[in-house]
Amino acid sequence: MRIRKVTTIVEEILGEGGREVDPTARVAVVAAVIDNPWAGEGFVEDLAPGIDAVASDLGAVLAPRVMEALGAPLEAYGKAAIVGIDGEIEHGSALIHTLKFGNHFRDAANASTLLPAVEKRGLAGATFDIPLKHFTDATIRSHHQTTEVRIADAPHPHEIVIALAGATRGRPQQRLADLSTER
Amino acid sequence: MTSQADQSTTFASLGHQLGVRRIFTVLQEVREEGGHPLDRPVRQAAAVAVLSNPWSGTGVYQDLGERTRDVAPVLAKLLTDRLLVALGGKDAIQTFGKAALVGTDGELEHAAALIHTPYFGNLVREMLGGTAIICFTDGRSEPGPDLKVPLWHKTTAGLRDYYQTIDLHLPDAPHPDEICVIAAASDGPRPFPRIGDRQTDPDVDTTILKGLLS
Repeated sequence: MRIRKVTTIVEEILGEGGREVDPTARVAVVAAVIDNPWAGEGFVEDLAPGIDAVASDLGAVLAPRVMEALGAPLEAYGKAAIVGIDGEIEHGSALIHTLKFGNHFRDAANASTLLPAVEKRGLAGATFDIPLKHFTDATIRSHHQTTEVRIADAPHPHEIVIALAGATRGRPQQRLADLSTER
Repeated sequence: MTSQADQSTTFASLGHQLGVRRIFTVLQEVREEGGHPLDRPVRQAAAVAVLSNPWSGTGVYQDLGERTRDVAPVLAKLLTDRLLVALGGKDAIQTFGKAALVGTDGELEHAAALIHTPYFGNLVREMLGGTAIICFTDGRSEPGPDLKVPLWHKTTAGLRDYYQTIDLHLPDAPHPDEICVIAAASDGPRPFPRIGDRQTDPDVDTTILKGLLS
């Protein structure tokens, strides 16, 4: 697997709504820009060999970097695949919607839920939003959140941007009633 | 890219008291260019502080000095601390640059005040171990802009191999009454630099245009 570029973004949210966020909320994103494993091959019926060749290695590269960048225990997480315009969205989905990829992150974060995801096709420098949910219970409403990302100069038409995102807590100033109170 | 030191925590709360809402740090590690792997990845980093415009609602005759002295040094500390962590210390850092974008209710002079005085620049230069003047970009923007921050060598600004930019996206900032202040650095030159330098350039002037058109 060739990685052209790795981008790490760490956001520290000190205030929201005019009030201090204490403790500071941290959100980390790590994105790798790789060649689309199926570039130039036309419509490939069986994606499994490409998945086997790339997905696990990619998870192994990204997951520890997110945890290191976060620098604190993770409480919410999500993932992204942005496919360059010569590829299929299915190519991005193939690489992130497999346990071979996601288990690296779940293991590193002591997490158990499925990772919410964004998959789309875009030009280099496309802006995308990664959804994050709670790491052990996806119904916990306080932790539903989104982080906005743009990787400069990627993905090129034959590339894919694969990203993982983690957050140390729920939304800053979250104050919605729990889901159970509506039942 | 974590700020583990107690001192950083203290400066972060001080930053918040001075109006800082968010800080984000971007680290970009380029491993290949033109289809060829680099012997050593080039890493560029930028740290961005999003803060309330200290002069929001004031006019063009407002003196900017006092608040500049209060705010700019703390921003310099917050941002350079993050660059140093991201790039592995000042000895690893070879280039630097800076930028400020003021929200649409502010003046360009407000952005300038926070980066173009010794209260910011001298601190950034000292903390990153540089001696050169720091290159920059500034402007006014709606929230969510993309911007490029120029970088050049921290001691020898004329070193052409080190001319480069870092490409940033600022989600949800600056709001109309905010300013984004940015410090940036990298640990190497452009990938595969090969356009020579002042020492190797031939003499070039406008006579080179003569005879091009018949």
